[in-house]
Amino acid sequence: MTLVALADVTKSVRLPDDSELEILRGITLEVSAGDHVSIVGRSGSGKSTLLNILGMLDAPTSGTVAFEGREVRRMRSGRLDRLRGDNVGFVFQQFNLLPGRTALDNVMMPLGHARGRLFWNRRQIAADMLERVGLGHRIEQIADRLSGGEQQRVAIARALVRRPVLILADEPTGALDIDTGATVMSLLDEVATETDAALVTITHDLHVAARARRHYRLDAGVLETADLSRAFEASTLAASVPSALAPSVPATRREAAS
Amino acid sequence: MTGILGALSDAWAEIRVHKLRVLLSLIGIAVSVAALTGVVALSEYQRQFQAEQSDRWGGRAATLVVGISTADGLPVDVDAFDERFTRVSERFGFSHTARIAQGMVVPVQLPDGIVDVNARLIDPLYSQIHREQLLEGRWLRDADVDALAPPVVITEALWDRIGRVPVAQHPTLTLSGAAGGTYQVVGVVPRQGFGDEELRVDILYDAYRARVDALPEGAWPQYEVWLGQTEVDAVAPVLAMDLRAGLPEGQTVSVSRSDWAAQPGALDAQATFEMVTGGIAAVILALGALSLINIQLVAMRQRVREIGVRRAFGATSGRVFFSVFLESLVATTVAGLVGIAIVVAVLRSEWVVTSLFYGIQDIPPFPMRAAFVGLAASIIVGAVSGFIPALVALRVRVIDAIRF
Repeated sequence: MTLVALADVTKSVRLPDDSELEILRGITLEVSAGDHVSIVGRSGSGKSTLLNILGMLDAPTSGTVAFEGREVRRMRSGRLDRLRGDNVGFVFQQFNLLPGRTALDNVMMPLGHARGRLFWNRRQIAADMLERVGLGHRIEQIADRLSGGEQQRVAIARALVRRPVLILADEPTGALDIDTGATVMSLLDEVATETDAALVTITHDLHVAARARRHYRLDAGVLETADLSRAFEASTLAASVPSALAPSVPATRREAAS
Repeated sequence: MTGILGALSDAWAEIRVHKLRVLLSLIGIAVSVAALTGVVALSEYQRQFQAEQSDRWGGRAATLVVGISTADGLPVDVDAFDERFTRVSERFGFSHTARIAQGMVVPVQLPDGIVDVNARLIDPLYSQIHREQLLEGRWLRDADVDALAPPVVITEALWDRIGRVPVAQHPTLTLSGAAGGTYQVVGVVPRQGFGDEELRVDILYDAYRARVDALPEGAWPQYEVWLGQTEVDAVAPVLAMDLRAGLPEGQTVSVSRSDWAAQPGALDAQATFEMVTGGIAAVILALGALSLINIQLVAMRQRVREIGVRRAFGATSGRVFFSVFLESLVATTVAGLVGIAIVVAVLRSEWVVTSLFYGIQDIPPFPMRAAFVGLAASIIVGAVSGFIPALVALRVRVIDAIRF
């Protein structure tokens, strides 16, 4: 079943000098339940704008966005907010945890916008989710004081606590070291698979991208299927390492994808 | 339901997390609400104090003064009128009546010679009608009429002149003239203000008349009746009519109110006091609100990302608006309650009230009006200073706030 469908989506903005900047051009993409999609691209290629549109935070200039078959453009703001809260979970590169709040408060936050059982049992549900990501012993810790890996795990718990059908992760390992990043991605994969949620990951890291089943590359606003093996070969660091180690992992996760 | 509870919960969490900022921004509100509440409360005390002050001169509300005079200026037969008044008074069933004769001077033997001292002839109930206060001793009683050395109450200035002998040591006063003899000082009236040096002696009307056949020339009694304010308008004309019926020709009876409540514009002074001081407190409150709006607006700029994150996770714009709005409302209401509690705590102290209003007798309970005014002010300030930042929060664009 198609969760979110983008059809011929373009996005352009007007610059101060009155000229038009085209960020996305003719993007068509379908993401279904249980999908795991990665999108790689250079900085400024429009990845974040695409993610905003997928997450219904932003509207396209032209083309259509449909969520579970319903066109988003026709929805009123409040309904769209609720639809997003019910169905979409976000994981940000800089975690974006609420400052001064405990890990539990952060994970409870999305449940505070829910209704019924989710709202009334939010404390227990949030605590269980933190337990699930291995932070059951740190629920009362102020989130800012956790390590980077722990903060991202809190962010993942927050993204998943309402059991969204679509998880959007923007550089989820961008602020983490390689080992911690790998652990966090494993966790994200695992929980997404467990809940049959679709996971769309935007990343610079080819190894993070490689975890997905479908790979895309965004270049100058145009989305096309990516061949990651060629991308690995074209990697500048891959060329500089000894031939015996060439197929192995590049030393940095900030590797350019193109 | 969950939306309102959720917004309240968000607002409370925000206040809890930013305790210091909230505390600092609310000190001004708490102080100004306290000032406003205090002004309204003090105005109530001032009203009571002024009423008591006025009572000393004109009697409590409502006091009727009955006077008798003649058209040709000849002396009135006071005993005959006294009998008439007593009869009428019994028929009306008045509980508080008193005679008073003023404008008299009696020669008193003081250490520095015989000095003319003002004198009043009064009945014991006069002290209740006029809220007379004593510095020391007791007031005159009915039974004092029979005393061989009739008790008197003197002013503090006169007490000083006789050496300020404690009343417990039974100081006496020697009068010369028609009512000459020894009088026992049983009470001392305090000075009515700075510079009050009046030498005066209050003698029981009947005790004086037992010694002197006639009142001195120029002094004739007035009769005072203390009535309920609700009945005075109905009683006064009938009383006047009764007293005038069958009065000897040439005599005139006047019945009029002497208490402050009968004076036009009696409450104007209090209203002006309340308006001026209340106006100052309102300005302070407005400044507090302004600084709160300022702080909230600055805080809002710092919270753009947080608001964006909340919106990304399903918070509607209405929810964000009400959370921010409620933050101010909840915080200022709490601050207001603190301010009111401080004022109540301070003004519940009898020492504070009597220090502010020296001589006040009946301290009224803390006026609920003051508490309501303070609470309403804090809620209004919270609503105003919450509304503007909430509008700013409403305009936060999620994609600008998050910047993936």
